[in-house]
Order: sequence, then structure tokens, then C-alpha cells
Amino acid sequence: MSPVSLAFAVLLLPLASAAIIALFLRRAGGLASAVSVLAATGIAGLALLLALGNYRFEASFEWLRLGDFVLSIGLKLDDLAALMLCIVGVVGLCIHVFSLGYMHDDAARARYFGGLSIFMFSMLGIVLADNLFMLFIFWELVGFSSWLLIGHWHERPSASAAAKKAFIVNRVGDFGFLLGIILCYWANGTVNLTALGGHHVFSTLIPLLLFCGAVGKSAQLPLQVWLPDAMEGPTPVSALIHAATMVAAGIYMLCRINVLMVPEALTIIMWVGTATALYAALCAIVQSDIKKVLAYSTLSQLGYMVAAFGLGSLRGTHLLTIGEAAQLIPPGTPIIGLDIAPRVYAAGVGAAMFHLTTHAFFKALLFLGSGSVIHACHHEQNIFKMGGLAKKLPLTFWTFTIGVAAIIGLPFLAGFFSKDAILYLAFANNRAVFAVLAFTAILTALYMVRLWKLVFLGAPRSDAAGHAHENNLVITLPLVVLAALAVLGGYTGIYPKVFTGVFELIPEAHGSAHLVILVTSLAVLLIGAGLALVIYKPSSTDAIAEKSPVLFGALAALRNSFDAVYDYYVEKIQQRFAMLLSALERILLAGLIVQGLAGLVGLFGLGARALHVGKINAYVYWFFGGTVVLWLFVMGVL
Amino acid sequence: MIAPLHTYIVLSALLFAIGFFGVLLRKNTLVIFMGLELMLVASTLALAAFSRYNGTIDGDVFVFFILTVAAAEVAVGLAIIVALFRRRQTIEVDELDALKN
Repeated sequence: MSPVSLAFAVLLLPLASAAIIALFLRRAGGLASAVSVLAATGIAGLALLLALGNYRFEASFEWLRLGDFVLSIGLKLDDLAALMLCIVGVVGLCIHVFSLGYMHDDAARARYFGGLSIFMFSMLGIVLADNLFMLFIFWELVGFSSWLLIGHWHERPSASAAAKKAFIVNRVGDFGFLLGIILCYWANGTVNLTALGGHHVFSTLIPLLLFCGAVGKSAQLPLQVWLPDAMEGPTPVSALIHAATMVAAGIYMLCRINVLMVPEALTIIMWVGTATALYAALCAIVQSDIKKVLAYSTLSQLGYMVAAFGLGSLRGTHLLTIGEAAQLIPPGTPIIGLDIAPRVYAAGVGAAMFHLTTHAFFKALLFLGSGSVIHACHHEQNIFKMGGLAKKLPLTFWTFTIGVAAIIGLPFLAGFFSKDAILYLAFANNRAVFAVLAFTAILTALYMVRLWKLVFLGAPRSDAAGHAHENNLVITLPLVVLAALAVLGGYTGIYPKVFTGVFELIPEAHGSAHLVILVTSLAVLLIGAGLALVIYKPSSTDAIAEKSPVLFGALAALRNSFDAVYDYYVEKIQQRFAMLLSALERILLAGLIVQGLAGLVGLFGLGARALHVGKINAYVYWFFGGTVVLWLFVMGVL
Repeated sequence: MIAPLHTYIVLSALLFAIGFFGVLLRKNTLVIFMGLELMLVASTLALAAFSRYNGTIDGDVFVFFILTVAAAEVAVGLAIIVALFRRRQTIEVDELDALKN
């Protein structure tokens, strides 16, 4: 098979799986899960084959032609897409396998696995799309599958409300995204990513409008409200969609359209990301639901990635390869060693994608770990009712510990390297952002260690935690695989050369900056983790809430502030406006036009009925009158 | 002597008026029916007179047709009135208001 048809196979495999499940296997949960997991295995295998086999191509064919406008379906597999393809494939497979165990007793298992398959299809579409319109189509499809899976337990009102909220909030961002795409098409005459890379109109508005899509999908301020609520979905869904892949699609999309970026837009993007990172980290400290902590942590890390992207390019040097040197230097000049040439490179893309990669591994690990804990504790999610699980769930404990260590940036684990790359970039480009991100890193260490300590250490604080026991291999095996990736994922050296296009962009600290970054990184880690270990004791109440209710209240209020504002807007402004419109509709449309016309006809009917008296004489008079009128008419009197 | 045309027209108009007011004012269906017939006859008289006056037979041909149709109509009309009387025991139009209710 040619690489193009292989890529189409990757894209269509999950669609086929979803179709088979939806059409034939709706009652057969076991078969449906087998089909879905097989499809996921196929995706992971083909994705690795395509990426590692260094197949890079662009293929596109016309799908719709409306006058001059052509909507094409095309695939663009470059190093960036190949990296994302591998992340989605591998993490997706781990989560499919985990779901086999986690959702084993669920009544609607077939719908769940069908939803996972349709999600994989949509996500792969985003990864491979070669133009913005196609990207938008799949963008909406992931929104749909996200809605489907968040609301999986739709009997619970909170779950179905959360699903609706996620969908509607995303729609707000997507509106801007669509406007951006249309504007981009209007300005440039094309939305093909490669063609845009060739030449495009410089505009601040277009990248900012496109960024709106990322704000919605990657849950940046001020549209972050849907992500914490989305934790109502099954835990593997939270891991796959709301931590590792879909929410990262916003960052991926930004990297994909990097060529359109201008400095003004990047500055705004940078500050939005920085603000989100700080805000979410502050919120995470006062959460008591294990998944909500991880949700806010995801928000915070997404903020990191967006900030990294917004920090933009870096001026650096790189060693010329012999080929490049031969081109630059006039022939005949002897080449003495390898020269160093200055270059400006998109370090933001490198740092964001690097962090996206490592984050996908360790956050999926943390979510699946929390899923394992929740499963073992019979769906208890309150961390103050856990405790002492380290001995009961040894494998989960150790893998979760690796995840925590990776996210707080313990040296030699994945998060350490990717976070340092971002910190270095911030240090080099904008010191204020650097300070905020470093402070956020303290908070990250604080809330993650708090979570870890409350869940796993001390004595069990509820019956559910007391009777917990380790899950079977289907659940723990993905944890081990992801733990290995969370350890190794930070070493750029282990990635095959095929991802060079992305990895050569990763900024690396050097010179004196190297020391500053290293010291900062270690200091924030020690401060944050140390604070958490000192403050939090294994107890059933929050230590901050006890010692400083004011601080706790302030953080809780901060967390609720956005929801409060939106609720106020919806209830007091939008609802009233809708009622006004409804009243106008009732008076003008329904009242005056519809009912008015009907009334007029009815009135006419009433009059006509009065003529119908049933007396023959009366009819004769009418007949006579009619004849007279007719006669007068004919005579020209009337 | 031959009566002039206008005498026929006047007679025809008188007959028509009698029939017309009979239809308008009388309450008995049979009498109304007679009034109708009278109007019909008045018009045939006018037609015959015009035919004679013009020296053509167009009007006469009309009269033949009208008389034929009128004969059939009388048969049907009287039959309806008889059937009506059998069913309702009355042929007064004021009482025949089933169309209304």
C-alpha cells in the first residue's frame, strides 16, 4: 500500500469501527469493545509505521465544488503531524485497553466504545487535515464526540448538564474560529496550510480569530469553565479527551498555523496562556475531587503550552551541516570544520509541542491512575475520604508517583525537560511571563503533592478506601506503559530522527541561562513540594480551609467567579433579552400576523354565515338584489 | 287588426311582474312554483312577439325549447313538492328551514 492509502486507512479504521458498532453491535457490549480496541491497535500500529517509516507527503482531492470555491479533503503528514499521530495512537491504545477493565460492568458499554472510535476518527482527522475547512469539520466532530462521552452517564443530570456546557462553550470559541477561517480564505484565497505557508497576507485579526478556536477547545481563559465540569464523564474519557489529546488539539492547531502568526497576536496568546496557567493552578489547590484537581492541573499545563507558543521565536545558532555549508559558502573555499550560523527558529512551536507530548504521557497516566483509584474505591472521588492506598494499590501507587514526579518536574523525568524548555524560552523572551510561570510551577508542585499525599499516605479515611484492592492487569498494564513513557518521554535523544522537524525547534538552555533555569526549576520544585508536605496532614478536612479560611474562601471564590459571571449573564441578560424577543414574537408575529389574519377570515365567515338564514324568500331577495346589481353593472351605472 | 308590438311587451312585463311578486311574497311552495311558471310564460310571450315582429323564427324556436324544458321541470318540481308534503306534512316555505339548522 502507498503511504497515502495507509494514512487514509488510519483515518477510516475508527470510522468503520464506529459504524459497525452503531449499526450492528449496540446490544453486544463485549463484541463492540473488542472491535473498538482492535481498531485502536490498528491505528497505533499504522501510525507508528507511517511516522517511523519517515513517510511524509501531502495528498488532496476535491470533495465539493461550489462555484469558484473548492472544498478539498486532503492529508498533510509532516513531522509535526507524525508526532501528534503517534501520541494520539499510542495514548489512545493505552486508554482503550484501560477502558476494557474500567467500563467492564457498564450497561451502555457498546455506546461508550462506539464513542471512543468516533472520537479517534475525529481526532485523527484534525491531525492529518491539510486545510482549515477540513480541520474545522473534524474540529466540530471532536466536539460532538466529547459531548457524547461526557454525557455517557446521561441519567445523572450533572453529567448531561456538563456535556451541554462543554458543547455550548466550545461553540462560542468555534464561532471565532470559523470567522477566522472565512477571513483567511477571503484574504488569501486559500486555506491550504502549505499554500498559506508559501505566501499570505499579514494580519493580526486572522490569527487571533483562529486562536478563539484554541481558546474554546484547549479551555483557555475565559472559556475554561467547561473542562472541570467535563470530569463528569468516565475517567478514561477524561484521560483521553480532556487531558491528553482533544484539549491539546488547540495547541496543535496553533502550531499548524504558525506561519500566520504576527508578533501582536503572539503577545496576546502568550498572556492568555500565562493567565490560564496561573488561574488554574490557584483553583486546583482547593479542589477535593481527585479528578477536578487533575482537570485544573490540565488547564494549567495547557496554559503553559499556549504561553510557550505565544513566546514565539528565538534567535539562536546551529551547526551547519556539510550540505548547507556547501550551499552557503562559495565553491572553492575550503571548509574548515563546521561553521556556526545564526538562525531564527520557531522555538515556541518546539517548546509547546514538546510539552504537549510529555504532558500527554504523564497526564494520561495520572488520569488513568486516578481511574484505577476510583475503580478500586467503588467510585469514591473525594480525596479526603481516601488515604492509605499506597499499600492497597502498590502498582497504581508507584505509577501515579512517577506521574506526579513527572508533572512537578523532578529532574530526569519527562516534565522536567519540557517545562525547562518553556521556562528557558520565557526567560529569554519575556521575564514577566517567566516569573508567573515559575510561580505557577510552585503551585503545581504544591497541589500535586497534596493530592498524592492525601490519596496514598496515612490511614484509610473511609470504608471504600479501607476495602480497596489492586485492579487487574487490563487496568494496570496501560499504567505501566504510560509510566515508562512519562519517564523516557523527556529525552529528545530517544525519539527517532523522523521527528527532527519538531524537535530541532525545542529551545535548550545554554551558557549562564542554563544555570538560572536549573536553579529556578529545582527551587520551585522544592518549595512547592515542601510546602505541600508540611501543610497537609492525612485528615478528612482541608488544612488550608482550617488554618486560613479567608485564603481558602478567596481561592474558592476565584474558582467560581467565571461561572458566576456567566450564570449572571445567561440568567439576567441573555434570558431577559430572550424573553423580550419572545414577547415581541408573540405580539407581532403570532399575535398580529398569524392570529390577526385568522381573525379577519373568521370575521368574514361570521358575516357570510349571517346571510345564510334558511328561508327561501330571503334567498330570493338576495337573488333579486344580485340581479339588480348585475344589471346596474352592465348598464354602466356602477 | 294586428296589435302593435308594445302591447305584447307590456302584457309580458305585467305577467312577469305578477309571477315575480308571487315568488317573492307568497309562502306556499305550490303558489311560488306557479309564479315561476308565470315568469317563464311571460318571457316566452315576449320571445314569440319579437319573432313575429322581426319576421324570423329564432324566437319561436326558443319558445319550443323553453316549453319542452318547462314541461319536464313542472313534472320534476311537482313531484318534489308532493314528496315534500308527504314527508313534512307542509309546503309552507317558512317551515321549510332545514338548510339553516
